[in-house]
Amino acid sequence: MPELRRDPIIGRWVIIAKERGKRPFDFVIEPERTKGGFCPLCPGNEATTPPEVLAYGRDAHDPNGQGWRVRVVPNKFPALIIEGDLDKRGEGIYDKMNGIGAHEVIIETPNHYETMATMDLEQLALVFRAYRDRIVDLSGDPRFQYIIIFKNKGKAAGASLEHAHSQLIALPIIPHLIQEELKGCMKYYDYRDRCVFCDIIRQERSQNIRVVCENDEFITICPFAPRSPFEMWFLPKRHYSRFVSMNDEQIKMMAELFSTTMKKLDTAIKDVPFNFMLHTAPLRENGLEYFHWHIEIMPKVTTVAGFEWGTGFYINSTPPEEAARVLKETEIS
Amino acid sequence: MSDKKRILVVDDEESIHLLYREEFEEEGYEVVSAMSGEEALQLFKEDPPDLVVLDINMPGMDGIEVLRQMKQMQPDIPVILSSAYPEYKQELASWASDDYIVKSFNMDELKESVKKHIARKK
Repeated sequence: MPELRRDPIIGRWVIIAKERGKRPFDFVIEPERTKGGFCPLCPGNEATTPPEVLAYGRDAHDPNGQGWRVRVVPNKFPALIIEGDLDKRGEGIYDKMNGIGAHEVIIETPNHYETMATMDLEQLALVFRAYRDRIVDLSGDPRFQYIIIFKNKGKAAGASLEHAHSQLIALPIIPHLIQEELKGCMKYYDYRDRCVFCDIIRQERSQNIRVVCENDEFITICPFAPRSPFEMWFLPKRHYSRFVSMNDEQIKMMAELFSTTMKKLDTAIKDVPFNFMLHTAPLRENGLEYFHWHIEIMPKVTTVAGFEWGTGFYINSTPPEEAARVLKETEIS
Repeated sequence: MSDKKRILVVDDEESIHLLYREEFEEEGYEVVSAMSGEEALQLFKEDPPDLVVLDINMPGMDGIEVLRQMKQMQPDIPVILSSAYPEYKQELASWASDDYIVKSFNMDELKESVKKHIARKK
């Protein structure tokens, strides 16, 4: 019989269609043809991007030249612009403000064909350092309330370029979905006086049926009520609400486990497109006792359609216990 | 041989060609038309223009693929993407272009961009 499961944080329901029990080989991913050719993110084409705001691995005397290992540039045609005032105003019942924000692209590697599953740990740690350092830098701008970092991999997940990159958007408001998550965490904290994510980590480690992998500092689990088959959450084991609290040593440990997670996913479902989103505390909050930063990884193996849009319910054909078992048993090189 | 600057307009809509031809010829440019990505690449190879105005959404080869191949062959020829879809503007694949103009009946923005990029190429 199918099972309805409720997410303990925001109360979202999902239908776990257990009897269908799709396994990795049931998801046939059409391999994407590698296009190669001209790529604005490749070394040598630095002039086709706006001037960089951060680069690691290259001498400071040669800005916007080659030799970088990770490079961050503003979006060439931004949806939100960095200059100007918010000018918050109303028009009858409608609220509006100027489209102020920052939209940046983190170019994760100079190698066009490298992915988060194949790059070495030092490279991956540089990517996470770039995430942290850009958040720190943009936090200084009082107009911004929230920064979301996300990655789209593969055409089906919304990526229009194959060169590995993530994106950062700084917003003058806290997105509704994040507000809902914060409210859910606060409600749980008011009731139990504990962080819901810390409790989830404790229970998952004790039950050990949805844990994919872990090291001393981080853990990857398949959540109890996942929206899509093989959805994973990546969390620090210790309580931190802000991603920027991670020091270089923790970032190394993070790279180690995130690499394992990516390798397992990429091996279990070859070339799977996915999105991931970094959820961290709003910029104007200091350490929050009720919130825990984490990364949500959503493999794109199904299509969200009318039922999901109309109800907010998701139908998932792979129970997270099955997904975690498969991923845990997946051997990586 | 004419010393007029030549613009290659690539779009699958006849009405766009009529509009752009009239406007650009009035500005003193020579206009060459291609109705598809394949035809555009052929014309681009045979006789490279001074600038390309390229639609994204076309049957067959789309504008992004055409852009990629043009930049591979001749990175210095400016290509302006002209699309009815503003939401595609932020896509990184459009970065290979020199500008991205959302189609509008008001041609001022496009004409200004053409003028700027042709001057830059001199």
